[in-house]
Amino acid sequence: MTWFRITLTRSGIGMPAKVQGVLKALGLRKRMTTVYQPVTPSVAGQIMRIKELVDVKEVDQPLTKEQIRAARKPDPGYYVERRNAGNRARMYE
Amino acid sequence: MFAPALRRAVFETTTRVPTTTTSILPPAFLLPFSHRAPITTVSHSLETGNVAEPLLHSGQHISSGLKEAIASRPTSQTASSTTPSPAFTSVPYGQQSLQVRTITPQIRQLLPLLRAQSAHYITVHIHGRPYLLTQGDTLRLPFLMKDVQPGDILRLNRATHIGSRDYTLKAPATVKGTRDSPKQVFYLDERLFVCRATVVGTELEPERVKEKTKRRQRHVRHVRSQHRYTVLKISQVEVRSLEEYDELVMKEQGRKGKARRNADASEELAEVAA
Repeated sequence: MTWFRITLTRSGIGMPAKVQGVLKALGLRKRMTTVYQPVTPSVAGQIMRIKELVDVKEVDQPLTKEQIRAARKPDPGYYVERRNAGNRARMYE
Repeated sequence: MFAPALRRAVFETTTRVPTTTTSILPPAFLLPFSHRAPITTVSHSLETGNVAEPLLHSGQHISSGLKEAIASRPTSQTASSTTPSPAFTSVPYGQQSLQVRTITPQIRQLLPLLRAQSAHYITVHIHGRPYLLTQGDTLRLPFLMKDVQPGDILRLNRATHIGSRDYTLKAPATVKGTRDSPKQVFYLDERLFVCRATVVGTELEPERVKEKTKRRQRHVRHVRSQHRYTVLKISQVEVRSLEEYDELVMKEQGRKGKARRNADASEELAEVAA
């Protein structure tokens, strides 16, 4: 099964209520949000209604919101090498 | 009198310029300036080989190593093999952290010189933000690290630059992401340096008071907030020697080989059992 990866690149502000309704139905709330929808005729029709506002690509795997967020996160860049070295030393005194 | 003619001549030459230059000039690779200033992505200011001779001699002692380095003009380095961190590659505007895991002969040659010049600076990245540090610095982070206690020792393992007075080891430049390819951030190999920081404690900022107003109302609401920030002290910034680096590489390869051998053995056992 394949999926549409839809990203809202232009805002829906100022569009007719019908167009804004389509955006809402697809789950596109604000600019640069990405949603994954199954490849079906109804979804294809919805995309056709808002084709000027979105970027669409067909992908094999849908991703959840959490996965997208995780992939955008940079490395922490540190790890704790030794816990609370001073306190432990004081404990043994 | 002959002003119109002159004007016409000027205009004609200016309009003809683009066409004539293309026809008269030889191809770009034959132009005289092409070998003097090659177009590269490598920063000219940070390469030791590109430093002008008079600048180097400006009342400053030059080690024999640096002279050697200048004699053998370093060429641009390339990131040959990298290990990607686990990330989804098809995420729009995603990010990938990469480390250059091999060292070029040039780095092998110049690393001891960098190591010998003490007082190093390092650009470490914590949560994607760069901090330029030297040993003994106190760093007040712009956030509160939730998972640490005062006295903890942190290892900072993502760095893009490490350098001394004359040498700098740089990671390759970041590749911008698009909606189909993730942003690629390159870091130095973490086996090449040691950077440790001790958590000193937390700092409390002065209270902020924000005035909140509503229209057509004389009442002003005051919102107070006070943030806490983690304070680190950089206890160690060190470049590893080539021997230590090679040892680490050997150890890692040995571990990988052992794991593979163990896997093979278990497979054989499974086959025997079947």
